[in-house]
Amino acid sequence: MKIIIKNSSDQPLYQQIKDQIKAAILRNELAEGELLPSIRSLANDLQVSVLTTKRVYTELEAEGFITTKAGKGSYVATESQELLAESKRYMVESKLTEVWEMARELGINKDELYSMMDLLFEEDEQA
Amino acid sequence: MLFNLVIKDFIIAKKYLVFMLVFAIVGPIFITSKLELNNGGFISFVVTALYSLYILFNTVSMSEDKYKGSALLCATPYTRSSLVKAKYLFICVLFICSVAVYTMVSYIVPELLGRLNITNIGLAFLIVTVFFGILIPVQFRFGFEKTKFIAFIVVFLTPFIFPPIVEWLESNPSLNVTFSLPQMLRGWLPFVLTLLIGLVSMNISIRIYSRKNL
Amino acid sequence: MNNILELTDLSKELDHFRLNKVSFSLMEGCITGFIGVNGSGKTTTIKTILGLILKDGGSIKLFGKEMTEHERDLKNRIGVVLDEGYFYDDMTLKEMKNIISPAYKSWDEDVFVSYIKRFNLSLNQKISTLSKGMRMKYAITLALSHHADLLIMDEPTSGLDPLVRSELMDLLLEFMKEEGKTVFFSTHMTSDLDKIADMLILIDDGKILLSEEKDQLLDTHAIVKGDNKLLNEQTRKLFLVLRETAYGFEGVTSKKSSVHQQMSDVLIEKPTIEDIMLAYIGGSKDAI
Repeated sequence: MKIIIKNSSDQPLYQQIKDQIKAAILRNELAEGELLPSIRSLANDLQVSVLTTKRVYTELEAEGFITTKAGKGSYVATESQELLAESKRYMVESKLTEVWEMARELGINKDELYSMMDLLFEEDEQA
Repeated sequence: MLFNLVIKDFIIAKKYLVFMLVFAIVGPIFITSKLELNNGGFISFVVTALYSLYILFNTVSMSEDKYKGSALLCATPYTRSSLVKAKYLFICVLFICSVAVYTMVSYIVPELLGRLNITNIGLAFLIVTVFFGILIPVQFRFGFEKTKFIAFIVVFLTPFIFPPIVEWLESNPSLNVTFSLPQMLRGWLPFVLTLLIGLVSMNISIRIYSRKNL
Repeated sequence: MNNILELTDLSKELDHFRLNKVSFSLMEGCITGFIGVNGSGKTTTIKTILGLILKDGGSIKLFGKEMTEHERDLKNRIGVVLDEGYFYDDMTLKEMKNIISPAYKSWDEDVFVSYIKRFNLSLNQKISTLSKGMRMKYAITLALSHHADLLIMDEPTSGLDPLVRSELMDLLLEFMKEEGKTVFFSTHMTSDLDKIADMLILIDDGKILLSEEKDQLLDTHAIVKGDNKLLNEQTRKLFLVLRETAYGFEGVTSKKSSVHQQMSDVLIEKPTIEDIMLAYIGGSKDAI
């Protein structure tokens, strides 16, 4: 799993870390049931506060991505397939919303946007 | 715990212990022969004991003042009162050592030194206790530097003040008459007084030290 | 996370200084940095916690118990490293250890020996012959050899070279690996804290100015630079300190998001802990 913290980012630290762990889970880089590093060791490696990593884990747990067993550590949640699919859709949707808003502001219409998308898919297929 | 704190004082003073041992052996012989006293060596013992105890006590205090080690000790589970008690115990142990050394010397060279009887020891202990019973609380209260000057004056006065007092006491039978106590009890009286003065002084010191900012 | 240490309205009058209702708490499992310039009250606060200076008022609770009532029990759970060490310099390392160790119920000689070996200290050496770094390592060794839950250190890094300082920081992180350990240490060198602190407490002139999570502090604060034209009555309020020159302004804000909303065309940079510390100290001075 790769986590890169941007000092220049406007996003709070915990958000950056949380998003990247979430992304790793969604990409299946972190497999179901896999043990996550302890909050202390993650904090040390990323050179952030243990309070920040604790917050990351607490929020990920609340969102159902990970489970924490007292005294043992945190694991990537197993029974989360449906949830994962849901959140994958949600992530794409939210990005698309941004794109849609931008397109509307810049006066790009529906057809133009669709054709852009088609072009991207075509490029991907060719590659 | 208390024991370890007394050991600490001995470790601090260890450089001077051998020197003081030599002094405790030579001192009484020298004083007795020079002053040509004829009182069973009591005066020479008191003066020697007081000197050596004071020098060792002062060595420890100087070191405490310089390194502030007691602050670290108070940050550990050692209590302040045990630090104070250890000081008194240190003096007690030193006094017992001086009695032992003197007695040994008096056995080896009986022609030079008279032996101490229990009353002598008791009286000497009382004098030592009065001296340190005042010095220790004063030092806890005013600190090492200020006390040093007071104490030096007192110590240098002792050879001039104590012998006349003791001689006066001994040559004044009226005082002995006032003790209409049995001989046995009279011998132990100094020890009782020593204990009382020691305890009172210790409690005062504990109280002073418990309010001190380290 | 539980509060390991809770200070409430701690106050103390000294000759030329006073602690003014100092309140803060330390969370279990956290490294808390206690920062402030020299003479701000760090040592006085630590000494008061340890009972070396007697408090005039307020309460000190350790592990949920009042310090004054359970002093000996509680001190068994604290490891202490004082500024300058407070050792009897003429003693050897072994002699000093023999005095300290009987004080603790759970002194662990094996742990002690392992640290001594690790730091290449020799037990028969006199304390006075130790270098500054060695002295600190010896102090840490004494502080960590009785399975303390809370490690309190006063300026452990002052006067140390960068290598020894980073060694110390690594040692603290190692200590923190065990569950339930807490570290509280004072420093005037904020660079020590950049890497390892979880919480920051800022004291100035005997008053606590700030007590917050380090990352959150760094997230919400920012250095802002821009054209003087952008400053008006409202935007000025966003800054803790503000320096204006003919060429533009530079300031530290504690409301980064508001700056984002209210001021466009400004340069926003991530501050260091030092920037934040100085901003607060400067800010409080301005107010007086």
